[in-house]
Amino acid sequence: MITLADIADYMPMIKRPAPKFISESGARIYGVVAEFADPPAVYHAAEKFRDAGYTKWDVYSPFPVHGIEEAMGIKRTILPVAAFGAAMTGVAGALLMQYFMNDWDYQFIVQGKPTSAWEPFIPITFEMGVLATAFTCIGGMLMLNGLPRWHHPLFNSERFLKVSDDRLIIAVEAADPKFDPDATRRLLEETGGTHIELIEDED
Amino acid sequence: MAQISARAGAIPDDAYHTRLDAIARSPEMREDNITLPDAPAMKIAGVLGAVGVFSLLLVVIGGFVHNWSHALAAFEIGLFVCTAASLGSLFLVMIWHSLNAGWHVTVRRQFENIASLIPFCCLGLLVVIIVELIGPGHEGSGVLLTWLLDVKQGDHLVHHKSGYLNPGFLVVRWCVYAVVWSFLALRLRALSREQDRTGNRWLSRKMRFMSGWGLLITALTSAFASFDFLMSMDYRFFSTMWGVYFFAVSVLAAVSLASIILAVIRSMGRLTGVVTEEHFHDLGKLVFAFTCFWAYISFGQYFLIWYSNIPEETYFFIIRTTAQWKPLFVTLAFAHFVVPFVLLVPRVPKRSTLGLGLAGVYMLILTIADLVWVIRPMVYVDQPWAPTDPGVMAWWLDAAGVIGVLGIFGALLVRQIASAPLVPTKDPMLHEALAHKNYV
Repeated sequence: MITLADIADYMPMIKRPAPKFISESGARIYGVVAEFADPPAVYHAAEKFRDAGYTKWDVYSPFPVHGIEEAMGIKRTILPVAAFGAAMTGVAGALLMQYFMNDWDYQFIVQGKPTSAWEPFIPITFEMGVLATAFTCIGGMLMLNGLPRWHHPLFNSERFLKVSDDRLIIAVEAADPKFDPDATRRLLEETGGTHIELIEDED
Repeated sequence: MAQISARAGAIPDDAYHTRLDAIARSPEMREDNITLPDAPAMKIAGVLGAVGVFSLLLVVIGGFVHNWSHALAAFEIGLFVCTAASLGSLFLVMIWHSLNAGWHVTVRRQFENIASLIPFCCLGLLVVIIVELIGPGHEGSGVLLTWLLDVKQGDHLVHHKSGYLNPGFLVVRWCVYAVVWSFLALRLRALSREQDRTGNRWLSRKMRFMSGWGLLITALTSAFASFDFLMSMDYRFFSTMWGVYFFAVSVLAAVSLASIILAVIRSMGRLTGVVTEEHFHDLGKLVFAFTCFWAYISFGQYFLIWYSNIPEETYFFIIRTTAQWKPLFVTLAFAHFVVPFVLLVPRVPKRSTLGLGLAGVYMLILTIADLVWVIRPMVYVDQPWAPTDPGVMAWWLDAAGVIGVLGIFGALLVRQIASAPLVPTKDPMLHEALAHKNYV
């Protein structure tokens, strides 16, 4: 879920809180990343991080790793609930709109059918339901993912740019309450992570 | 076969058999988990068969007491629920084969069982034809098929359509349906059971090839069968949607019936770890999908006929949406679409054994109601009888027809289920089905 602090992170006009951790060069720390050899390795490492109680972290992979959601302890998205609500809103809105227009505000007889006939309303009701659902799904997906955005601190890492090609990477954010530069780095080492790297954030 | 097995994508024979052996040794595939005990199954089949035969006798009595159209309609409602379920199962089995699907393997045997009762349904259709042609109907012949009625013989439309709607061609078409459906269903079942014994994975390829041409032919024949026995009951009526409508009814009936069977088997403690909540979830999605598809198709059919307002077409809907049939029409719209839509949207009922079993029972009852709505209004349609006539109100006769055919169908089905393992034990995709998971 998005918090106000997340939004503030990417809005330059809002002053960000003072950094909790600072790198040797004095920059704000975004987090730590590590590479993993193969899907099983990253899967088991993810289980360790889940069990250690980390919440603000993610696994990056060029392909879907089956079961990684459970290994990471990710809860189901609330998007379906929002989509159902949007569908019902679209349906109700379409029906109200059509009854208002055809049967009340501007009665106009077409083909000798009654102005209150429900039949011609159904296709439009269906389309409005689908439209509202589709917009909610797309918009909700973008919102829940924190998109769109101009830039992400992870792209400051040269090695991370390869993640869409052939790397399996775990990134732990400094915003995580359990984050500690040394302890998190140690946990990454223990779980088999290599090329562990501290990522700096722009201020 | 050696050069084929060397193709990319196919694992070598020895690795394949190692995998089969490993699956066969796994605790899920132990004998008592994947078979039904014979004796109780035969007892259930006996009870169902006795109820069925008794109810069919009641139908014959109803023919004498009230009239033969009503008795035949009652028989046809039950018969078409069974035919729809069998044809829908045949469709699904062939669709899964031709798509080389993995998840369905552990539930496929039940669909094969339902589909393999198509010869029984064809026999029922033959009874319908015999009663229609030479039976004790009013005015010589023609009991439900109005184009056979003597009084209609001078009608322009009957004359115009006689190239298709004539008794000789009807019998020829029945022969084609019976041969094609029975061949496909029995052959697919036989190949699948042969694979259980031999473990020959190339039988799957054979079934896949058969499914390709089988799907095309079954799609055409099932559409024409629905024209012959359901749509042409009112010879004036025509709808280009009718074949698709019957397809929607078929697959819905098939998935509902299979859901009931699997829920019952699971609650008996069998198929543990073989048919899991993941498979129930997917069956539930199919029930949900075909509920919506049914609503889409039946509304599409109604909507265009309502708008274009052509007398031959609207007549079908006028008698089914007014007077005593209006409540059933409204009930179908809500109970067959709105209620299951809302109930099956969340994943919880789809994933639970009890939830999906109840959904199957509910949708099967609604499928019966749907066919009542199609068939039953034809009985007294051309007769100047009051709607309170004892014959019109004789609902016990309709109940007897449905229970009679479904009882015998159920008895044969239970025997089928008990006669072989509950899953295709040596299917090449079995490992995929056992590990099946919905990643959402």
